[in-house]
Amino acid sequence: MPAVEALGLTKTYSGGVEAVKGLDFAVAPGEVFGLLGPNGAGKSTTIGMLTTTIAPTAGSAALAGFDVAVQPLKARAVSSVVFQEPVVDRGLSGRANVELHAKLWGTEPRAASERIAELALALGIADILDREVGSYSGGQRRRLEIARALVSRPRVLFLDEPTVGLDPRIRFELLDAIASLRERDGMTIVLTTHYLEEAQRLCDRVAIIHAGAIVALDTPAALLAGLGGELLEVRVDGDTAVALDALGALGISAHDAYVVGQTLTIPLHDTSAGDAITAISQAGLSTSAISSRQPTLDDVYLRLTGTELAVAA
Amino acid sequence: MATTVADQAARAQPAAAPQQIPTGRALRTIAGRRVALTAHNPRQIAVPLVGPALLALVVAPALKAATGGLNSHIDYTSFVGVGAVGLVVPLTCIFAGLSVLVDRHSGAQRELLAAPVPRAFLVLGNLIVAIALSALQVAVLIGLSAVRGGHFHITGAGVAWFVGAALLFTIFMYGLAETIASRVAKQEDYIGATPAVAVLPFFLAGALFPIAAMPGALTAIAKALPLTHALALMRYGFVDPHGTGLHDIWGAHNPATEAWLSLAVVAAYALAFTAIAVRTFTRASVK
Repeated sequence: MPAVEALGLTKTYSGGVEAVKGLDFAVAPGEVFGLLGPNGAGKSTTIGMLTTTIAPTAGSAALAGFDVAVQPLKARAVSSVVFQEPVVDRGLSGRANVELHAKLWGTEPRAASERIAELALALGIADILDREVGSYSGGQRRRLEIARALVSRPRVLFLDEPTVGLDPRIRFELLDAIASLRERDGMTIVLTTHYLEEAQRLCDRVAIIHAGAIVALDTPAALLAGLGGELLEVRVDGDTAVALDALGALGISAHDAYVVGQTLTIPLHDTSAGDAITAISQAGLSTSAISSRQPTLDDVYLRLTGTELAVAA
Repeated sequence: MATTVADQAARAQPAAAPQQIPTGRALRTIAGRRVALTAHNPRQIAVPLVGPALLALVVAPALKAATGGLNSHIDYTSFVGVGAVGLVVPLTCIFAGLSVLVDRHSGAQRELLAAPVPRAFLVLGNLIVAIALSALQVAVLIGLSAVRGGHFHITGAGVAWFVGAALLFTIFMYGLAETIASRVAKQEDYIGATPAVAVLPFFLAGALFPIAAMPGALTAIAKALPLTHALALMRYGFVDPHGTGLHDIWGAHNPATEAWLSLAVVAAYALAFTAIAVRTFTRASVK
């Protein structure tokens, strides 16, 4: 049985805005599943439907087999969520915030106390746990929210943009902590992000969402493999469409090449970068820069949507 | 690290039902959170008491001295002492409703909405604390009024009428405050509604003078207000065993019957607005 299952999950807001359009996916127990896409792609709406704070317009979803619309209390009992925005009682201590979660999720007081101590240590907040949350930095508060979500030992943990707004060092530390906790506890994690390196680092599989629909779903490695082993980037001076046609005629580019601004990005499947550059020089194409590099998930997204993820975010 | 998944489509039965927190414990937990947050902000307790306390301590004795009071068997200081309850309870409930807005905008409301407890409990847990706070403030208010010379006839039945009326009126007021909090988008809009729901009824419901002293049209409006019935009941319990205020409302001759009728009115308001508050909160919390 999947830990998370969505079938035709759809959300249309009043006014006809289709935020999520018939998502189908299943997440296995213990898997880390990434929903990748820019702001407005429908990631948070999807998380909202899975955590029962947004009512689906059509379709269904289940957590550990419990339908989120029919058995919402059971679905909520097996899950926890770390929200994109800070969701804490700032006037209470960190410990009081975590204890509140433990009580509401029915964790026995003794077990909760031990778990809080363990998580506080693992997430580096043991020293500040009895301080008022209003005095926490952004990174400390985010770690507290993760500890809070984990105290009830959820079968499914939702992390909605867990590192957004944090500085690089804290992001790195937080990702490291999440990876460690995941390995130790083996829980299912559904992570939304527009940071590609997060998805590559943490996720077993990634669904790329664009305009409310899944445009690709696979392991990061498989998604990258679709772009070949190497990418050629050619910055042209003139018409990019003409240049792309010319490269196609030379057998360098295929259907998976794409254009952003004046730059052509060409996945190289059967040609080496050196051979491609030589061919471009001999063809007399007017270029201002040529380089080659390894493909990233960013390239997968660009090819599928024609939008640069970081810019859109 | 990769896990094969997509193909685990075989639909099995759901996992064993997860443990869920019993109703009493859930309500205690939610109410405990509100108590902790209120204790962190003691102004929420003190501020609603200031105006009504001034009424009981200063305004009522001064008006009594200047005008000779009500020219009846009812002592004016105690009359206004009870009347001030009609201000302290609405203000306390309005403050409690404001904290719901704060929860939504910068607090942990979304975490509570994701918890495995019925969302009605989030309203009811806060209601419990609003009742406790109101009870504390009403006790202080009546105590201050007594210290200032108010005469209260405390009997078992009188206490029951007073407590019943105050309790049901508090439930109604909290339901109203929570409903407004769930419907408005901004704190400014909520604050803007305060005079209409908390202060205006105080002047119409016979808090400072009998409703029969007003023009007929205003008296008719007053009779429809739950506060009018609650004040008449509370005075029937503590100040006026003859039920003059109840008679002004119902025009009958049996104070006990009139008291039951007024209690039924306040109870109906309490029940209706609690149901509306729960429904409004639940609908507003799910997009």
